[in-house]
Amino acid sequence: MATFKARIESGFAAFARTVYRHRIKTLLIVFVALAALVSQLRYITYDTSTESFFRKDDPALIEYNRFRELFGRDEFLIAAVNPPKVFDKAFLAKLRDFTHALQTQVPHLKDVTSLINVRDTRGEGDRLVVEDLVKDIPQTPQAMAALKQRVLSSHLYPNLFISEDGRFTTVLIETQAFSDEGAKADVSAGFGDISLAPGTGTPAVAAKRKPLTDKENSQIVRAVERVVAQYNGPDFPIHLTGSPVVTDFLKRAMQSNMARFMALAVLAIGVFLGVLFRRISGVALPLLVVVLSVVATVGAMATLGVAFKLPLMILPSFLLAVGVGAVVHLLAMFYRNYERGGDKRQALVDALAHSGLPIVMTSLTTAAGLLSFITATLASVADLGVYAALGVMISLVLTLVLVPALLALLPIRRHPRFSSQEGSPLADRFLMGLGNFATRRARLVVVVSVLVSALAMTGLPWLRFSHNTLKWFPKSSDIRQATDLIDHELKGSISVEMMIDTGHENGLYDPAVLNRIQALERYAEDYTNAQGQRFVGKTNSVVDVVKEINRALHENQEAYYTLPQDRDLIAQELLLFENSGSDDLQRLVDSQFRIARVTIKSPWDDAAAYVHYVSDLQAKGSELFGNSTQVSAHVTVTGLIRLFTESVFALMRSMVESYTAAIIVITILMILLIGRLRLGLLSMVPNLLPIGITLGFMGWMNIPLDAFTLLIGSIALGLAVDDTIHFFHHFLRYYEETGDAAYAVHETLLTSGRAMLFTTMVLVVGFWLFMFATLNNLFYFGLLTGLTLVVALAADMLLSPAILVLTARKAPATAAPPAPATIE
Amino acid sequence: MRSDIRSSHRPRPRGFPALSALMALTLAVLLLAAAWPGAARADDAKAREIMQKVNNRDDGDNETADVKMVLIDNRGHRRERDLKTFRKDKGEDTYTIMFFLAPADVKGTGFLTYDYAAPGKDDDQWLYLPALRKSKRIASSDKSGSFMGSDFNYSDMTKPDLDDFDFTLVKEEDVEGHKTWQIQAVPRTDKVKDDIGYEKSMLWVRQDNYVVIRGIRWVYQSSRVKFMKVNKLERIDGIWIPTEMQMVTQEGQATTHATVLQFNNVRFNQKLSPQLFTVRELEKGL
Repeated sequence: MATFKARIESGFAAFARTVYRHRIKTLLIVFVALAALVSQLRYITYDTSTESFFRKDDPALIEYNRFRELFGRDEFLIAAVNPPKVFDKAFLAKLRDFTHALQTQVPHLKDVTSLINVRDTRGEGDRLVVEDLVKDIPQTPQAMAALKQRVLSSHLYPNLFISEDGRFTTVLIETQAFSDEGAKADVSAGFGDISLAPGTGTPAVAAKRKPLTDKENSQIVRAVERVVAQYNGPDFPIHLTGSPVVTDFLKRAMQSNMARFMALAVLAIGVFLGVLFRRISGVALPLLVVVLSVVATVGAMATLGVAFKLPLMILPSFLLAVGVGAVVHLLAMFYRNYERGGDKRQALVDALAHSGLPIVMTSLTTAAGLLSFITATLASVADLGVYAALGVMISLVLTLVLVPALLALLPIRRHPRFSSQEGSPLADRFLMGLGNFATRRARLVVVVSVLVSALAMTGLPWLRFSHNTLKWFPKSSDIRQATDLIDHELKGSISVEMMIDTGHENGLYDPAVLNRIQALERYAEDYTNAQGQRFVGKTNSVVDVVKEINRALHENQEAYYTLPQDRDLIAQELLLFENSGSDDLQRLVDSQFRIARVTIKSPWDDAAAYVHYVSDLQAKGSELFGNSTQVSAHVTVTGLIRLFTESVFALMRSMVESYTAAIIVITILMILLIGRLRLGLLSMVPNLLPIGITLGFMGWMNIPLDAFTLLIGSIALGLAVDDTIHFFHHFLRYYEETGDAAYAVHETLLTSGRAMLFTTMVLVVGFWLFMFATLNNLFYFGLLTGLTLVVALAADMLLSPAILVLTARKAPATAAPPAPATIE
Repeated sequence: MRSDIRSSHRPRPRGFPALSALMALTLAVLLLAAAWPGAARADDAKAREIMQKVNNRDDGDNETADVKMVLIDNRGHRRERDLKTFRKDKGEDTYTIMFFLAPADVKGTGFLTYDYAAPGKDDDQWLYLPALRKSKRIASSDKSGSFMGSDFNYSDMTKPDLDDFDFTLVKEEDVEGHKTWQIQAVPRTDKVKDDIGYEKSMLWVRQDNYVVIRGIRWVYQSSRVKFMKVNKLERIDGIWIPTEMQMVTQEGQATTHATVLQFNNVRFNQKLSPQLFTVRELEKGL
């Protein structure tokens, strides 16, 4: 062991000498590499959409993309207006202007629909009318009352364009599903030949398209907001929501929060460093390293074209907090050597020789904890794992290369008295007290730890998974209020989508198919939640169009608002509708009349609340269209809400996967580092207990596991394990020297204990800064990670000594020195 | 244009007075051009004359044809519809009757249309659904709707009212070995745009016979663009007639849908009785 260690130490010393000699060259190389990454920063993109949570090959996402290819984007913006009176000349005129303004001023648009231009299909005598609902604004009170009566009693409009009580009316803004990016102004592009020879494909037609980008989504939202601002007023109060708006809000919140936390973290860490080192270089060098590693990591993401997704919000401040520890260890060692009067080069070489190995080791365990996310089902969580680990490694390289080179180059002042490594008597007394208590009352400490853990973990059964990005915003935020309002008044701002694929052309002409779609719609509408309430606002499908046409063809008699049971009549009615000037059919059926879309407009709620609904819809669909029935068809549930529920499953899977991976990897690392199986396994107790306690606490406090709180366990594990490594490492050294466990604990606490205390404080402050966030998810993430680290420190300073003392007493032989001797 | 543009309030960069004066002059000219009524509407006489000749081209007093419509979706799936069509001019007005032959579900479904030349007069349209044994009048005020579910809309199938547009001759261009004029057509009002469904169009007119052989149509209030191309142009009974054309709809340069129309057994100058173009004939079917 000793020669092995000596060899590593001399390796680090040689490395330090090389860096010292080639300090200018080293700096140049580092800065060129950094400049290359920094120059890429401007290409960084954001993606806060729900899809961004999924991997590209996720079946749910593939189904969703297929849906969008067939029917367009299911997400829409919704502007609800509640004027003093909806059915009023002046209001309708303004609504018409508002609709028109949106139509002309919003980019990437597919359609803007309001009461003014929504389709109105009716029979008038022998005439069939398909036109815009309000072609001319009614001028007489009678005509206005007739319009109101017609709208409120219609099958189509309530809960879609008007609230059931007639107070709210909405404008639906549908956008393109696919991006315009990369489209060139090549006018001849559309003139390709279409081959009609049988068996030949149509290359001009099939093309892979990129979904609308986050940037384009934001352009849409900005443009809509501008129009809304022009029209908003007491006579025309507008509430804007819809998932594209939520996505955009999230992005903006993310950007502003990130900027704020960067600033706060730099400030807090700077103050800490100032207090600790009382030197300019002691503040500037660590900050330089951590800021550069954040910049380089983000630059690397930009270079690789990886978008900044939601969980990555924590990346910058996380790297700041985590990276600073390593530099501090190195600097502390360097300054101590330097103060003792040694020459700068030798002080640097000694510092690297002594602290090189622990710095590398702790960085590796932190990175391993993060890399455990790599297999996560949630793509965004996997991304965080990869890039946070990369950031930690960049920070490690900068610590080992940039810091020595700069120290070599810069003039460093010598303080007459340098106190940080000597420690304050207060901290020493505190650490001594802890050591005494833990060793003398070892049994009590273990029993109390077990009791506290057990009590906390009784909260585990209440732990629940959640995915609800809207809940991340404070209650008072515009977006949350508007969404709640619209969900309350019009029962829904997002949708569940279903696809019923009959498998053959014109399959939807079959009355048996349409009858079953109708049954499915009824089932969806009558579904009640846990409180026994119906919550679905509206269902819409080709069935409604057929019924509408059928009634219009029969002089508007309500008795004919039914599905004809004659295949030819259905076919002819649909042909008529196709020819009527309305293109609404395009969004309800595919062009082959093979696949029907059923839209179920529903309120925004936690994904977990929709899990049963989605699976029940799928079951009902399969029951109605199963193979045993005479009309078999393939039923798929998709749309935004399906993505929500899938993300809950993905969260659960990610949690199990990443926790398992982290525990296995870190246990192996611990066993290897400590060099003994039994102690390695024991060392995992103080590592894992804090996570169990935090999870139990979340159960008690009803804090759900979401894409952010999920991360706490693995991150805390990766960080807490650093302390354990230090503790066990030093403990063993002292114990092997003396054979006295209590003495070894004291010595360990007084040396590495102080460093543990300090680095934990920096980390906890770093994480608790998130409690200043406007977003709830960040608040909880910061609070809980900080809490876990505090508990982990307590476990390392109290429980670890107690366990070590107890096991040493029981089995003095196994803990005795022979083991290292074999390595020598 | 006001002359004080040249002495704008912005401090002029010192050392380059000539350059900034030149820039100001250019700006003034640009503003002048934009403000000029004729320039803004950009209608030119030559283009209008060409379009007039396009509209006046002989297309026969009457015509019968078998039409095959092939609809192709974004995954290359095809469906076909067969129609039999009859057309007869009555003065400036045009009467059309068509019947679906296939697919079987819609066989016998018929549409009768009176397209009136008089501006502002809406078309009359009747349809007959055999499964319902009933004919109905359809109130249709605009021509922006799809023609029989295809990528063509009604305005693509009828002659435009030239007074509704500003035309500009963009350039002369060879297209597939024929000299053409490239002409831009912009509707003069939003109402016209709404009615025909297009924000603007670019047309390629063959110089030898005044047939529009290509067109790009920018869909009004949408990001869709449609590309029309004549695949086969024939001269039947002395009349130039496209017997196959395609319309491709694109969104962000990706094709979302396409239609091919084929006209077979085209005959002109048949003796078509005016009685054919009545609701009674529509209900009787073929």
